[in-house]
Amino acid sequence: MRSLVGRNSRRLSWLLAGIIAIAAPISPSWSLSVQSLNVVGTLSPGEWEAYRSHFIEDDGRVVDNANGNISHSEGQGYGLLLALAANDRVTFERIWSFVFTELLIRDDGLAAWKWDPKAKPRVTDRNNATDGDILIAYALAKAGAAWKESRYTTAAQKLARAIGKNTFGRDRGSVFLLPGAEGFSAGERPDGPVVNLSYWIFEAFPVLASLAPEYEWNRVWREGVELLQQATSGRIRLPADWISIQSRMQTKPADGFPPEFGYNSLRIPLYLLRAGMTDLEWLRALKQRWSAENEGVAIVNVVTGSIRERPNDQGYALLSAALACALDGTPVPGQLKTFDPQLYYPSTLYLITKSWLGEKRPQCV
Amino acid sequence: MDESALRYFASQGDTRRVNAEIARLRALYPNWTPPSDMSQLSGTVTVDPIIDRLWNLYKEDRIAEVRAAIAERQSSNPNWKPPEELTTALETTEARRRLTNAFDSGQWRTVLTIATENPNLLTCVNVDVLWRVAEAFVKTEQSDRGRDVYTYLLTNCANPGERLATLQKALGLLPDNQVADLLQFERKTGNEPDNFDSIREELARRRVERASNDEKMTATAEDLAVVERMTRNSDEPGPVLVLAWYNYHHGNPARALDLFKTALNRKGGNKAAEGYAMSLRALERLAEAEAFAYDWRDKAPENMKVYLDVATALLSQDPPPRLEPRIVARIVPIVISQRFPDGAQALGWYAYNTSQFQTARGWFRQALDWRADDEPSAYGLALTTQRLNDRAGFSTIVAQWRDRSERIADLADGTVPRAAPQRIPSVQTAQPADTLPQVPMRPAPARAETSRTVVEASSLPVETRPRTVTVETRTGARRGCLVTRNPEGLAPGAAVTLGWCLMEANRPLEAVSAFDEAIRRGGGRTRQEAAYGKSLAYLRKNLTSEAAVAAAQAPQTGERRIELSASILSQRAVAAYRNGRYVETILALSERARIVPEQTDLMLIRGWSYYKLGRYQDAEKVFRAVQRTGNSEDASVGLNAVMEARIPARQ
Repeated sequence: MRSLVGRNSRRLSWLLAGIIAIAAPISPSWSLSVQSLNVVGTLSPGEWEAYRSHFIEDDGRVVDNANGNISHSEGQGYGLLLALAANDRVTFERIWSFVFTELLIRDDGLAAWKWDPKAKPRVTDRNNATDGDILIAYALAKAGAAWKESRYTTAAQKLARAIGKNTFGRDRGSVFLLPGAEGFSAGERPDGPVVNLSYWIFEAFPVLASLAPEYEWNRVWREGVELLQQATSGRIRLPADWISIQSRMQTKPADGFPPEFGYNSLRIPLYLLRAGMTDLEWLRALKQRWSAENEGVAIVNVVTGSIRERPNDQGYALLSAALACALDGTPVPGQLKTFDPQLYYPSTLYLITKSWLGEKRPQCV
Repeated sequence: MDESALRYFASQGDTRRVNAEIARLRALYPNWTPPSDMSQLSGTVTVDPIIDRLWNLYKEDRIAEVRAAIAERQSSNPNWKPPEELTTALETTEARRRLTNAFDSGQWRTVLTIATENPNLLTCVNVDVLWRVAEAFVKTEQSDRGRDVYTYLLTNCANPGERLATLQKALGLLPDNQVADLLQFERKTGNEPDNFDSIREELARRRVERASNDEKMTATAEDLAVVERMTRNSDEPGPVLVLAWYNYHHGNPARALDLFKTALNRKGGNKAAEGYAMSLRALERLAEAEAFAYDWRDKAPENMKVYLDVATALLSQDPPPRLEPRIVARIVPIVISQRFPDGAQALGWYAYNTSQFQTARGWFRQALDWRADDEPSAYGLALTTQRLNDRAGFSTIVAQWRDRSERIADLADGTVPRAAPQRIPSVQTAQPADTLPQVPMRPAPARAETSRTVVEASSLPVETRPRTVTVETRTGARRGCLVTRNPEGLAPGAAVTLGWCLMEANRPLEAVSAFDEAIRRGGGRTRQEAAYGKSLAYLRKNLTSEAAVAAAQAPQTGERRIELSASILSQRAVAAYRNGRYVETILALSERARIVPEQTDLMLIRGWSYYKLGRYQDAEKVFRAVQRTGNSEDASVGLNAVMEARIPARQ
């Protein structure tokens, strides 16, 4: 609400009307807080071994096998987090070695996001992807603390500072997370700033804030919650993966991207659960939509509500099961309990979800 | 102290590393004496098998796995530490990789940070790292520090291949004078002396190259000699081109021409062709230049520019050259498609100087369309409208230009004899020739039609014509029409093209049937073009009444209608005159004079017609007028005849 200050009154009146109309479903973000996770030791050796042997090479490269066997900063970050969850220091060390020597080469201290074994040079896009940076910094910070390894903590701190310095966008008094250091701000796109709500990995914010307290992590994560509430207040109640926040009280799908609740946004509920932010009313609405008697996990056009695709890997199904478990205590169905890794992305989501269930909701599994 | 690495390298028989390690340990422990006998060293190796494994992985460059193995060992034994030596080696390798990757992604500051944090990387063992660091300095605007890195390398590192490569790197990055300074480190003695001659040659080549495009800069005789030698010692076109341009811009086009020829033979490509055409032009061999440049015109924008310049120069010669029709015809569509005002102006003068005033007017207008402030074209237009008795056109152009152009103002005031306009030195253009038109106007009663170069046919720039099509079809169909073909069934556009091609080949009757096909099947503009072509074809065959019919077959543009009518009427007049039908001759000529001014040869016919009809007063008036145009010989024949005819009446 404080963002209404300074707008002209005519605009204010109809904006307020809009707010009142949608005020009911919005719970104030300041009542929310982030709970921390242990992470370590939450995955069974068998499941981890299946993942490791499928997707991680000897040199520590996490391979995206649905994407021409490339690697990216996001995959390396998930790999670090899962190795920590499996308490596998050896693999963690390998993955970190790859990140350090191959991706952490940018002048601003962030990670280059795309690495292709078939290209020369191997880094084919040296832009960063902020969610990858956050995952890497967060996993390093947790590992440094868990294994008392100062190399990790130091690296985590360096990266946290680089994130705070280069990826926090500002626009008319709000501070938010830019998906990349370049190309998304108000000055760089006609519809800028543009954000991706699935880049807010909420559980990481307090951890990174303690490493780089000079940056406004707290404001940024709250802004994430507010933007999520804005973006889910429409008729369809789903955010698009890429959102223009030029008008903060009226977010809209960004130009040049499909206006879809897609493979990016699927992760948002998982991140909310992991951070213990289960009070958000939107999660209830989403659980409804994702339930078996309804449409299930789907890629949806946020303007029309039409479904483009129903991804059927168990990793996506587990997202919905975890949501039902968190909100209603519904046990995870038996057929989802056995891990059968096929593709990098859903397998990763499966284990990240499983790790959380193991730590916070063992009764469901 | 830790001798494990030393023992390990010794056991591997790796003398280079053994020596490096001894040097390192000595620096750390001045009182330590290395074992004198290597075999003794390796004999006493009692290596922890894990360490052996680590070194093996390290040697295979499997860095992540070394790290993983260390972590594995530490998880079972938290107090265990890898040999310091290994840790250092590992960190150095990691730093080296990161530096290389950062370099490959253009992250110069990261390159420099890593180098600063890992000074042990910066040794002659890692020459490639030194090169990358030097380049990162240059790329971050610290080229002096880049030079310092090269200096360090040339002072300390011994491998002659790497030393030479260092200078080659410097050539790509440092200013030439700094590279020249580095030559002082050349080692003339020792087992492997340097040879930096290739660098000296390159520097000389660059000095000549800098002077090659600037006539005010000269290269030294030594440098020129070096580049001469380079041209002899390799088959590369590069040095030849440098020398060629140097000669071109320093007043030696003949030598430049030879060199460009050599460069062409060495696959010097577009640049060589450009220079070759420019040299021909400088040597005033314009026809050759045009023919050569024509073949290269589409290779690059520069080659097109040269073609247009050469073609313009060819048309602009004074006195006007006698050009083959096919040459003029191929210049026209290119000038149009490239919208080249100088070319339009040159075509204007060419038409003017060959007495094709209608056409000249069209081209001057076109030139002004493309470049509104083109004074020479405005002058051309003023002259031409005057010649055509086009009073409206003349006063329009005079009104627009009299304040800006002295010679146009003079023309309006009648103070300058029309035939001697002044040149404007800054613009390379032709002017009207001082002589009378060398080529008589169509129809030429006394000469063969074929001696004329027709600029008009198909070439008048009509703003609305689809230009590119014109160009393509015109050029594409050249070769195709020399074999007799039945135009039936051709697409209208192709039929028109065939028609023009046959006109060029001077086979007007075949052209007529091609144009007929297009008239039958084509629409709007094609039909109009075909009808125009057909009229010209009949005119060329002197079938005047057919020409008039053809002209009426499609509505023509104003310009063309006037041009066609004028041609048809003059042919009528000439034909009537030849058949002794003098009244008809006068009628046709009077009709014609209403739309275009009458040129001298037709005035003479008019004069003789009056004479034949006994209208001596009128005949005398006309012959006097002819006399005033400077054509005194023909006029005085007429005047004498009139005088003679009148004498008997005074008896």
